[in-house]
Amino acid sequence: MVKYIAKRLAYALLILLGVSMIIYFLIRLMPVDFIQDKINAINQGGATVSEETVNAMYEMYGLGDNSFLGILKGYFNWLSALARFDLGTSFVYGLPVADVIFEHMGISFAIALIATIFEFMIAIPLGITAATHQYSLRDYVVTILVMIGISLPSFFFGQMLKDVLALKLGWFPASGLIDATASYTGIELLLDYARHMFIPILTIVILSIGARMRMTRTNMLEVMNSDYIRTARAKGLKESAVINKHAFRNTLIPLVTSLAGLLPSLFSGAIITEQVFDLPGIGNIALDAMNRGDIPFIMGYNMFLALLSVLGVLLADLMYGLVDPRVKLE
Amino acid sequence: MEELKNQQAAPEAADSEAPLDKNVRLMSPTRMVVRRFFRSKLSILGLVMVISLFLFSFLGPVIYTQWGEIQLDESGKTEYSIAETTYTVNGVEYTLRQTTEKYLKDNFLAPPSAEHILGTDNEGYDIFVRLMYGGRISLTVSFIAVFLITILGVVLGGVAGYFGGAVDNVIMRLSDVLMCLPGVPILLIISTILDASDIDAKYRIYLLMVYLTFISWTGTARLVRGQILSLREQEYMVAAEAMGYSTFRKIFKHLVPNVMPQLIVQMSLSLGSMILYEATLSYLNLGVKAPYAAWGTMINIISTNQDILQNHLNVWVPAGICIVIAVLGFNFVGDGLRDALDPKARR
Repeated sequence: MVKYIAKRLAYALLILLGVSMIIYFLIRLMPVDFIQDKINAINQGGATVSEETVNAMYEMYGLGDNSFLGILKGYFNWLSALARFDLGTSFVYGLPVADVIFEHMGISFAIALIATIFEFMIAIPLGITAATHQYSLRDYVVTILVMIGISLPSFFFGQMLKDVLALKLGWFPASGLIDATASYTGIELLLDYARHMFIPILTIVILSIGARMRMTRTNMLEVMNSDYIRTARAKGLKESAVINKHAFRNTLIPLVTSLAGLLPSLFSGAIITEQVFDLPGIGNIALDAMNRGDIPFIMGYNMFLALLSVLGVLLADLMYGLVDPRVKLE
Repeated sequence: MEELKNQQAAPEAADSEAPLDKNVRLMSPTRMVVRRFFRSKLSILGLVMVISLFLFSFLGPVIYTQWGEIQLDESGKTEYSIAETTYTVNGVEYTLRQTTEKYLKDNFLAPPSAEHILGTDNEGYDIFVRLMYGGRISLTVSFIAVFLITILGVVLGGVAGYFGGAVDNVIMRLSDVLMCLPGVPILLIISTILDASDIDAKYRIYLLMVYLTFISWTGTARLVRGQILSLREQEYMVAAEAMGYSTFRKIFKHLVPNVMPQLIVQMSLSLGSMILYEATLSYLNLGVKAPYAAWGTMINIISTNQDILQNHLNVWVPAGICIVIAVLGFNFVGDGLRDALDPKARR
């Protein structure tokens, strides 16, 4: 087991190395004078990007030297900085990139976590009823509804909910995270957060229920066709016991495994939803950074996401071995 | 079995002298799949949705030529604004109402009328016509992307699965790396690169989707590889070997056609997600840029303009509905195909 994990960790590092090469290559494709233009635009916009920051970035990425050796040197420079968790300094914020990421990660994480909990709570029962009543009216209605959910573009649906629930009915605030005019404390502050996050979370939940529900339904159907379910029925168990005790527990295996795969999406931020509701989450920050040419930030953000997905894959594999004793890790 | 029994009642049934295959109309596997596909109402609905969107986008502009994609309605528009000022002179209140009449060149934000079926947008373009042109872009781009992804995935997955060993290792490790690349953020970088290198606004989205194919072939490749790994142990492959066929022929004539069912399902499902991808990129102003139309681009305006979001639903809702119809249609068709192609499905 320990040997397996060590092997997988080494492999994960190799993958990250590959990802870093691709991301570095992409950044080298950007013409240097374009970067200069963007920096000038930030300077004109009021903020100041200090000469030092810019020079530090040029040095970090080895920009300007376009010979093969120069690119190679630049890459290893950047990589060694990366190994020391030095992601450079963000142009727009004037802070180390890692600090900016961690500062805005919390809000994205909170939204994603709550949305994921609701998603599981709604999708799993739906998937089970759809499977136990296969080809019934209920199955069709649930399937069609979640299909519509899958097919909705997040920006369109988010804006629609915002228009109806926030702007037309006025039940919820349209954007932002807190009410800037009021100064709440304690429980009131928490309620204010909840009011602001209601529509974004609703959007994410409705859009993501579909995939989870269909996954549950497929697994459940597979389990319901297996021999031990027939045996359970044959020995006269109540249908509810068959479903809840014998079938459902076995559908949990892929569900729990997929939990580990969720790791990246918990921390990476929902770019579109955060943009629609103007939430200061990490996705929205990254989008803004890209539009303004904040290269150190966007590089750091991409590496951060890659790290998350590598960890997600690793965890999912380990989980699989833990949850299902039939799977042997080698 | 059900399938075969239905076929017993052949047209010229009574002839007992004739050989068996005269009395039984044989059904090819393809026909059986087609039959099963059309038995599901959802797949028919999906097919109708997709086909009508195609007709709307590709034939629409040919039939309805009143307006063009980037043709402004310059019939003019008068805008009134009323300013009210209150004066108090000797305790008596006077209200001064000043009406300003402004003549504008373009007839923008016009409500739906006979002239403009869905009205005009904030620039003065006809929304109905732009929906058609937007559909052309969205559908074409998605088809190209899915086509390229499939070709790349089949070739790489086929080669990896057939040869195994070092070739397999290299291709699969590459796909591991690509799978860990974040999707939209990487496209943000690529889009900036495209911005920097002055590309015609019209062709930007195509280039972007080509880049997208370079990082999205992994799913298809894995599917093909997995299938081929199990198929190459089958007896007919030994036979192909004995016949002395070339490797190319063995892979692409004998192995790949057997993966086709799963591939077709995957393609129709990924068409839906590609449309969503394209729309999202255009919404973020990274894909098709104004003045050209795409469904996502037509919704982009509401991210900055609250007035249109609230009061001019005709500007952005139709584009969103088109996206939903397209994605839902492809998903229904994909699901129907999966059920129809699955030999285990008993319905």
